[in-house]
Amino acid sequence: MDRSDVRAEVKKLLIKGLRLTVSAQEIVDEAPIFGQSSEGTGLGLDSIDALELVVLVEERFNVTIGDEDTGKRAFASVAALADFISEAPAA
Amino acid sequence: MAGAVAITGVGQVTALGGDVTALTAGLAEGRCGIGPLTLFAHRGRAAIAAQVPELPPTAVSGARRLSRSDRFALVATAEACRMAGLDAALRADAALVVGATTGGMFETEEAYRRWRAGEHRRVRLSLFLGMPLSTVGAAVGQGLGMFGPRATVSTACSSGALAITTAAGMVQRGEAPVAIALGVDTLCRLTYAGFDALQALDAEACRPFDATRRGLSLGEGAGVVILERVDHAHARGARIRALLLGSAVTADAHHVTAPHPQGSGALAAMRSALAAAGVAPEAVDYVNAHGSGTRHNDDVEVAALREVFGARLPRLPVSSTKSQVGHCLAAAGAVEAVATVVALTDGILPPTVTLRTPEPTWADLDFVPSAGRRAPLGIAVSSSYGFGGHNVTLVLARPEVRT
Repeated sequence: MDRSDVRAEVKKLLIKGLRLTVSAQEIVDEAPIFGQSSEGTGLGLDSIDALELVVLVEERFNVTIGDEDTGKRAFASVAALADFISEAPAA
Repeated sequence: MAGAVAITGVGQVTALGGDVTALTAGLAEGRCGIGPLTLFAHRGRAAIAAQVPELPPTAVSGARRLSRSDRFALVATAEACRMAGLDAALRADAALVVGATTGGMFETEEAYRRWRAGEHRRVRLSLFLGMPLSTVGAAVGQGLGMFGPRATVSTACSSGALAITTAAGMVQRGEAPVAIALGVDTLCRLTYAGFDALQALDAEACRPFDATRRGLSLGEGAGVVILERVDHAHARGARIRALLLGSAVTADAHHVTAPHPQGSGALAAMRSALAAAGVAPEAVDYVNAHGSGTRHNDDVEVAALREVFGARLPRLPVSSTKSQVGHCLAAAGAVEAVATVVALTDGILPPTVTLRTPEPTWADLDFVPSAGRRAPLGIAVSSSYGFGGHNVTLVLARPEVRT
């Protein structure tokens, strides 16, 4: 999978796994997944979503998000998450 | 409970629809909401239920994660608040009393099923967050901005009615200016399999008070009643839809599922509630019975009604709303209180829609068969009897009766 494929897969996982009502086209690659950016973009997800997303990402992409710092980096945006998945060694 | 309390709003979600308008139409037309069970697979004696046809929409943010139960509760409470004209400031101070028995069990079962089946390697947090009964109050309170006292009560099938008497007591004691009473439960595998194992389910739609009745039909939903002191309702210019004149709570101390054979607890609840309301049995115009449709319940309940109302019982309409919305468990007492308020405000006698062949010994009684009838009603009694012998009776009235 190239990175744009991974981004598309991540968006699908977010929408289905977290039951979001937005479409994939509406999710900005660089916008924050949790809360909002200063420009008002972002999905506005909360800490429960974060816990759920760890499990969803680990199961779907066979990676490990071992600690909070890794999680913060990986979940910064859809683009960051796709990069993390692409670069991570298989768990 | 002493002294009348005003009811200024009601809300509901049941198989008959997602608001009070749908319930009112269903009562008047005599619709039966019992049909095939499709929410989950069940192998057993029965496969029918009064299922809510579609998940009602809500504008509250964060609703995507709510359990079925929490969503029913939120939608019905929002409706009742709108009807009562509770703005953000009034909701902020309102007490919230929840009656519930299984909360998010349906989703928790689904999480377990998916994990067992290997569909999920790890259990999904969002599927069992709604498991504790306290999440109903948390979801409703957060969704509608309520910062007042909050409590959850659980007395099996009288939980919803107990929530109403508990909430009424809170406004009478001045613990909150307004109290919101809510009963909620959804169908789930645990409940369905449990009632089936008890041989309490009828394979056909339940037929309360019918000679051929074989058990109950499970239902689901939420019922909500907004309570406040009469002077508080007057002061803010709210329309008083009905009065809770009095109520009583008793227990059987007899059996884990069966009612006391002489109906002593049910009898005591009815008599105490009428006494608390200051209402003579002769003044009652309608009884919304527990009427579950089991052989046992209906036998004991009719015997208790004959004790209380005596020779006048044949002229006193008695019906079971469970023939239309099934047995909604913790929601039952609240939904039936809402149906009783509708009966009073709209002058409709709610029917026992599935009654075809009355018991020969009850041929003298009026169970309002088939469809709702128009009738002016002043005072009505609604009773709920829960497993373990948890009995609650409410005495409701049109506001003109006392003001």
